[in-house]
Amino acid sequence: MYSGSADIVNIVISGVGGQGVLTLAEVMAKAALADGLNVRVGEIHGMAQRGGHVICTVRIGSDVRGPIVDTGTADILVGFEPAETLREISLIKPDGHVLMNSHVVYPVAVSMGKAEYPSEETIDASLRKFTENIIKFDAMKFAKDAGSSRSMNMVMMGAVVGSSLTPITEKSALKIIVSSFPGRYESMNKAAFKRGLEEVREHI
Amino acid sequence: MTKSKELLADSVGTTHLLLANEAIARGTLEAGVRLVALYPGTPSSEIGNNLFSMSPHIPDFYFEFSTNEKVAMEVAGAAAVAGVRSMMVCKGPGLNVAADPFMSLAYVGVRGGMVIVVADDPSMWSSQNENDSRYYSLMANMPMVEPADPAEAKSMLLEAYEISEKLELPVVLRTTTRVNHSRAPVEFGPIRDRPKQVEFQKEPFRFVPVPAVARTRHPWLLEQIEKAKTISQSTDLNFTEGEGELGIITSGVAYNYVVESLSIMNLDAEVLRLGMTHPVPEDMIAEFLARHPKTIIVEELEPFLETHARRIAQLRKITVDILGKEQGYFSRTYEYSPRIVMKGISDAINRNTPTEWETIEEKVRDLPDIPPRPPLLCAGCPHRASYYAIRTATRGKAIYPSDIGCYTLSIAPPLETADILFDMGSSITTACGLARVTGQDVVASIGDSTFFASGLPGVANAVYNQHPVSLVVLDNRTTAMTGHQPHPGTGLTGMQQQVEPLDIAEVCRGLGVQYVKTIRPFDSVADMVKEVREMVEWVRENQAPAVLVSREPCALLTAAERRRTGDYPPQYYVDPEICNACKRCLNRLSCPAMYQDPDTSKAVIDETLCNLCGTCVEVCPQGAIKQKEE
Repeated sequence: MYSGSADIVNIVISGVGGQGVLTLAEVMAKAALADGLNVRVGEIHGMAQRGGHVICTVRIGSDVRGPIVDTGTADILVGFEPAETLREISLIKPDGHVLMNSHVVYPVAVSMGKAEYPSEETIDASLRKFTENIIKFDAMKFAKDAGSSRSMNMVMMGAVVGSSLTPITEKSALKIIVSSFPGRYESMNKAAFKRGLEEVREHI
Repeated sequence: MTKSKELLADSVGTTHLLLANEAIARGTLEAGVRLVALYPGTPSSEIGNNLFSMSPHIPDFYFEFSTNEKVAMEVAGAAAVAGVRSMMVCKGPGLNVAADPFMSLAYVGVRGGMVIVVADDPSMWSSQNENDSRYYSLMANMPMVEPADPAEAKSMLLEAYEISEKLELPVVLRTTTRVNHSRAPVEFGPIRDRPKQVEFQKEPFRFVPVPAVARTRHPWLLEQIEKAKTISQSTDLNFTEGEGELGIITSGVAYNYVVESLSIMNLDAEVLRLGMTHPVPEDMIAEFLARHPKTIIVEELEPFLETHARRIAQLRKITVDILGKEQGYFSRTYEYSPRIVMKGISDAINRNTPTEWETIEEKVRDLPDIPPRPPLLCAGCPHRASYYAIRTATRGKAIYPSDIGCYTLSIAPPLETADILFDMGSSITTACGLARVTGQDVVASIGDSTFFASGLPGVANAVYNQHPVSLVVLDNRTTAMTGHQPHPGTGLTGMQQQVEPLDIAEVCRGLGVQYVKTIRPFDSVADMVKEVREMVEWVRENQAPAVLVSREPCALLTAAERRRTGDYPPQYYVDPEICNACKRCLNRLSCPAMYQDPDTSKAVIDETLCNLCGTCVEVCPQGAIKQKEE
């Protein structure tokens, strides 16, 4: 493959505006930096809180320059929602890993009867045409168990660290999770992170 | 999320993960900038948001959200004329607004350093065009630098102040979205003190460009830009790296893609990276072209450097193949990526592109249809209630001039209340033009921040020329689209002082509008429908402009306030016993918090997404949507 230098890890995070995609990208990159790694984050703002499709990139590695992850070069695709995972699946490497929340957020076009939401089987089969490595779990449930649906991005953070596919250490991740948010969210975020981490560690 | 505390830290040598916009905010401290004036515009918005949080903690510093970019340019320009360092920030279209003072500033020049940060938006992620602001530097003869990443955004800002003071000219720091919104490690430097005050030294025959003065200033400006060429020739911002027969000239974010592409393609080339792109280093480019009989130019948007390279080759009689946009190797539209750059380079030198792309594209063609998810008005957005009322009152038959802000999203079904838009403030003025040549009702809408930015001359025009237009001011108490900056209607200043807010209804009355009313859309959507109908009828009868202020805070502000206080009103829910699955709520409101139960076809409210506005309660003909008991 043509993904350049071997030590580069490309992560794509795809979801719906308001789910915490941008925050996850920043927390992940700060943890990488805390581990002494070179990192770049690519974000698109402006529409991020308005219910639209949101995509962020995190790139780790000494030779990383720009923020963009191209077609077929992502090591990890973090999907906050099944249809949004499928929307970005062309970015994954053939042997890349998809870490996906199974909780569906219906687009308004579907609610209005103007489009159909693909079935779970269709989505899974379509994802599998790009990679066999798909780990799916109900991150929404884990987040609610941890205290609030708003901690779902920390479940996904746990999933990424639990995959051991990045050089980010659990220690740095926890340190940054604690320092990035007000104290009253600490135990919830840590619980969400741990749940995501365990889930993926078991299944990878 | 602003990080004022981190950005204020006096910790030389520490490394921080920053957006380029945050790095620029930090850079104002390190450059000793005394005054910053701006009107927010994405992709530059976080510069202002961070300076707003930082401003009360910086001694001898002044920051303001100006009412628009022209005002900001004048406020910052005057401060630099007085002799302190100043900065003006805007998005690409913002420089269009500020073009008038921008041109004059080049003639009169400055005494303190001045940097104009302009953020272009290739791919138009959040802009109405992708105009290439580099031509403004060329037209005004104002020096320009272009960083490739967050670290350079800060280091070039510091360098730009040095250049500005050497030449007594403002310097443009031009970025693009992928620079503004990239995060990367940035090292902090020392913070520089700012002067508390300076005394204004009068020099009217320099700073008042009446024709006799302007005629002396234009030759002065051309002399300065000649000196700037010498700087461009010697600055470290322009450099070459790598070796090879092939030459590549690049700038901005595209430089990163070139470096990555060469590594991936395992291709040898010498790269000329231009950090100072106006004036370009003529000799450096000439020597580079002479060394490389084949030179590829990689730059986003217009062939700016490419045209310079062709001009220089012609002047210096260099025989060279300059390959770029003119032959179609690279596009003049949208932002680039390493893949686009690899394709362009491969085509230009007759090399095959990696075959993996085609394999993946084939699989993509086999994907099932994925339902679109465009950005929408948020759950609980008051604009949804207002537009529902506007559309219902006029039965979708009026013309709906729109303006720049979140509310432009009402272009989408089912609200469909955006018919024409040019720029900030054009809702009112396009309404004037449409009302004069059509017999139709015209109901324009404009946000509160946009109203103060560019709406006032339009209202004065409508009153003066007695245009029969209805205007709804969507007053959500903030500049929402760019990240919730305050504005004159909120009374909160850039220095975080609370002053008397300007009242939009009073302003309209003061400008001579005879019909002005204020309503709260969440009090009753039915009442708002009635109010809009009355206004449109009044305009028809009186053939004069009328204003309805629809006032309700942005849903995101309300949600943040509830999170802070922990004080939530009871949840809304759809009673499945009463809902008859008519889908009126889904079809008329398109609220992201509502969906159809796949099994029963009845409406459901997603409690994790609902922002508790209650608009749907009034829209349901069955009375099936209810609020839980306290």
